[in-house]
Amino acid sequence: MAERADDRLLRLLGIVAYLDGAGPVSVADLARRFGTTPAQIQKDVDALWVSGTPGYWPDDLIDFDAASIDRGVVHLTEARGMTRPLRLGTREAVALVAALRAMKATDAVKADPARSAVVESALRKLTDATGEAASAVDVRLAPGGDRQVVSAISSALAARHRLRIRYVTSSDVVSERDVDPVRLHTQDEFAYLAAWCYRAEAPRTFRVDRILEATETDIPVRSHPGEPSEIDFGALFAGGSSPLATIRFAPRARWFAEETPVESVRNLPDGDFEVTLRVTNPGWLRSSLIRLAPYVRSVSPRALADDVAGAAAQALAVYGAGAGSWDADRVTAADAATSPNPH
Amino acid sequence: MSTDLPPTLNPAERLLNLVIALVNTNAAMTKQQVRTAVAGYSDAPSDEAFERMFERDKDMLRALGVPVVTVGTGGHTDELGYRIDQDAYALPSIDLTPAELGVLSLAAQFWQDKTLQTDITRAMVKLRAAGAGDPSADALAGLAPSVRAVGDAYGPLMEAIEARRVVTFAYRAAYNGTVLTRHAEPWRIAARDGGWYLMCFDRDRQAPRVFRMSRIESRVRVTGPANAYEIPDFETDVMLGKAHGEVKEAVVAVRPERAGALRARAKAVPDGERAAYTERLAGPGGGAGGPVGDPAGWDILQVPYRSLTGMASEAAGYGAALVVLEPEPVRAETLRRLTAAAALGTAAGTAVPGTGTEASRG
Repeated sequence: MAERADDRLLRLLGIVAYLDGAGPVSVADLARRFGTTPAQIQKDVDALWVSGTPGYWPDDLIDFDAASIDRGVVHLTEARGMTRPLRLGTREAVALVAALRAMKATDAVKADPARSAVVESALRKLTDATGEAASAVDVRLAPGGDRQVVSAISSALAARHRLRIRYVTSSDVVSERDVDPVRLHTQDEFAYLAAWCYRAEAPRTFRVDRILEATETDIPVRSHPGEPSEIDFGALFAGGSSPLATIRFAPRARWFAEETPVESVRNLPDGDFEVTLRVTNPGWLRSSLIRLAPYVRSVSPRALADDVAGAAAQALAVYGAGAGSWDADRVTAADAATSPNPH
Repeated sequence: MSTDLPPTLNPAERLLNLVIALVNTNAAMTKQQVRTAVAGYSDAPSDEAFERMFERDKDMLRALGVPVVTVGTGGHTDELGYRIDQDAYALPSIDLTPAELGVLSLAAQFWQDKTLQTDITRAMVKLRAAGAGDPSADALAGLAPSVRAVGDAYGPLMEAIEARRVVTFAYRAAYNGTVLTRHAEPWRIAARDGGWYLMCFDRDRQAPRVFRMSRIESRVRVTGPANAYEIPDFETDVMLGKAHGEVKEAVVAVRPERAGALRARAKAVPDGERAAYTERLAGPGGGAGGPVGDPAGWDILQVPYRSLTGMASEAAGYGAALVVLEPEPVRAETLRRLTAAAALGTAAGTAVPGTGTEASRG
């Protein structure tokens, strides 16, 4: 794919400004610094060599020491005044500053003074250099969970120690697990711990606000097959071949379709909308539909609707508010601790 | 080296020569001088083609943070001249440690949108050009915060905020689902709780408003002149209504081992008050031996909450494992949700809670 002209221009100007301060630099080092190939650096140098001020006589051109080039070293001898690195554009500053401010406010950074200090100083130097505060974008990621839990996870990650956690699933089942932590990932409103779980004998992702307790052990983490280096949120939410459910909502419940991984959303003429999703975690879906019930117009398949209604009727019976049937044997909680849908 | 230029220059090389020319010019260059003297511009086959090429190049340079300024050339003509003021574009010296640079490179992963990743990549090229060393990722090892994609509206909205220009878009209202064209003066965009919001002045309603960006159903068009409005000072969370709401406390009864996530922020009521609550739990409709069963089979917890509906929704989600004891508004709202849910299983249109559930065997 052809490189965009503006990206290449940025690098061409960057190379001259950098070399002006750095002196002779090898082609390989330049390639690494500017994230490109040595062959591309050669092309860039060739282009710079014939660029300059109007007239384009030898004295007008950017110049390099030809003998050095033959040895694979780029040695700038004439910069034609292009020695100043470019300031960050507004958009670039906005994107950097907003990301750093959000990172600074995450629990994982706040829990660790050394990390806080680095983020803080990077942010300060950046805002000093870019001038006006970039307030056009304001991102806050949600708090990850209990301060002690987050601090135990951060510490275990840094020391590469095994963790013992008490975890409650989205189906409300509590369990104790030994895990080797891999990564703490804050995505929007939740923080997730990616880890090797000894109970499941597999990589698992845990929502940090559902970790009730975390204790750092002094056992070093081991390497495991199939360890997750990145949390694949696509796979995490993918429903695979789970059965489909279709729910029609009143407009007020629109956020559900926006925040839940769904297969499709269909807007209806009267403002209602219909969501189709994979039922990967029946306990979570039942609970969600009870929570949203005033805005739920219909649920299909029928069995799902009856399941939701049955659970609600049981609850009403406990309140003494409804005359619903009481089926004490109904078991609703399955161990879906690490089911694909972490909600 | 030679003065023989290739017959056509690619755009990056033409732009490079334009920058060098406009930085080194004594006063300014007129368009005509650019066309005849700067390598690459004489390729333009017509006046119109040259104009288009020059305007596009100026826009591209501005987007990269290299503003081309327009000045009068003096004398008797009113022809305009162009130059680039290096003091205006140069990056002040910024001395980043490897750890700080590592933190900045993490920012690229923070954004899921291609356009924002491009912005970060460009910023990194500039910082590397300014001599910044190799980034070290150690400081934030194992951490990878990220925010969900903003979407295509980001570009035009940023452009509008920067230039203070009005935008137009189609928006689906959440209260009735209708789609209407909106005219807004964008102030800021914000991400909270997994959603992106546009904070702006709504020209149609003549009032400040927050739009949820996922409900913008058309391209956002930047319309109208620059500097059309001022952006006031305001707090994101106040405008989103999130700063309000003091922490209140609900009392709930929970089955042992259940509602784990809620327990994480709850505490048991003091022993002295427990009896009063268990009595209420048995209640007028219940009573020992009723559905509630043995009052001893419940934990009585105090739970902090800010939003009444949020608390009621969470409580309803636990179904029969949790009973809200107080305050009454939370209990009533919880019951409203449970009642509506109980009606879902009955035949359509004849929903009466508690009557149709006999047949429910999911």
